[in-house]
Amino acid sequence: MRASPWQQYAVLVKQGLRAELVDKERIVSPILFALTLLLLFAFALGDLDDALRLKVYLAETMLTALFALQVSFSRLFEPDRQDRVFDLLRTYPLSHTSLFLAKYTLVSLLGSATLIPTLLFGAFLNQSPKLQLFSWTVVGIALLALAGLGALGVLLSALTLKANARQILYPLLYFPLTTPVLLAAIQSSRLCLEAGGLTPDVNSWLGLLVAFDCIYITLGILLFTELVDES
Amino acid sequence: MLVISNLSFQFRHRRLFEGLSITAAPGDLIHISGPNGVGKSTFLAVVAGLLAPASGEIAYLVDGAKATDRRTYLEYLPAEANGLYLKMDAVENLLFWTRLRGLKLDPNAAFAALDPWNLNHPLLRVGFPVEKFSTGMKRRLALARLELSPVPGWLLDEPLYGLDQQALSVFQNRLRAHLQRGGFALLVSHDLEPFRGLITQTIDLAKRSAP
Repeated sequence: MRASPWQQYAVLVKQGLRAELVDKERIVSPILFALTLLLLFAFALGDLDDALRLKVYLAETMLTALFALQVSFSRLFEPDRQDRVFDLLRTYPLSHTSLFLAKYTLVSLLGSATLIPTLLFGAFLNQSPKLQLFSWTVVGIALLALAGLGALGVLLSALTLKANARQILYPLLYFPLTTPVLLAAIQSSRLCLEAGGLTPDVNSWLGLLVAFDCIYITLGILLFTELVDES
Repeated sequence: MLVISNLSFQFRHRRLFEGLSITAAPGDLIHISGPNGVGKSTFLAVVAGLLAPASGEIAYLVDGAKATDRRTYLEYLPAEANGLYLKMDAVENLLFWTRLRGLKLDPNAAFAALDPWNLNHPLLRVGFPVEKFSTGMKRRLALARLELSPVPGWLLDEPLYGLDQQALSVFQNRLRAHLQRGGFALLVSHDLEPFRGLITQTIDLAKRSAP
């Protein structure tokens, strides 16, 4: 008897969510980390004029979200590492694509739970009577960035599964690879807030963001099997 | 039927075993023997699909034809680990692993599966994380998972680890029933007394190892 890849995907997503909910610290700690970092930024930068405030808001919130997501992503396989669960998963007739997509769904959900409060709190700390900082379009752009970062997060977390020495690779690979996504997200959000909506300039940055999302998701699906088999 | 042909495994430059050929037919309990470090657990890990052999072939035959994925027919129990989500309870663990195999198992069936292993207590089975179980209780839960799995081949690496006399007796009976149903098992164990009368073949890995 063998479950279809979709059944396996559904079982793995449910299990992943249960494992996260049963250990709430795993969900709460990246959010608390992000909020603390934003607070520190607010104290460090002090009072800013409105022209600078917009740029600082986007830079600090996106950067904070990136660090918080890294915390979240690096713990992705933690429940599977205990008691050789991951080894047992590898002895099951499991579709690696199902496993990748299940983990990807999980990081997307958990990443959204970190990203949205970060953007909200960042806007709150930088609020000014003349500036409308919080925008659902910016949230959409940030979620688009998350789509690419999530795939990269699953892939890099899988790298650290077996060999602990590889854990040093995680930040070394994560930060350079996320730079284009971060850059495109910040630029498109800035242009969007300045223009008050989507303009051709915004769209060209969004095109770059979508292109990187596609590259990272495709790479994730292709390379994940290799990493799982190797570990 | 599991057919292992001319299998060898190499860890870096050290060849652990070579030329190993085994056929496990329905009803077989094959004991893999040898001193510590000879590669018994490694051999089971290779058969389970965790490690790639240096050469040779492992095939599961269904009606004479080679199955596309032998893992569909094998269930692995590692030594000193049970493959349990430690923060989750016993029933959640059983439901997860059986559903991953495509089996529709409801919580009542999971309760029934826990019963012979003395784990079907309302305070133990639901809402009590497995990490709080004793070593023997975790092993019993892992054996309940193994038994629920609808596969013919069991790969057992020190299955008696942490079991008390009562659980040992349950395991003997369950293993006997599995073999009588047409299942088979490859066994690594330093305690052979509980398997007396069940073992059909012994493979001494020391004789298959490179010097």
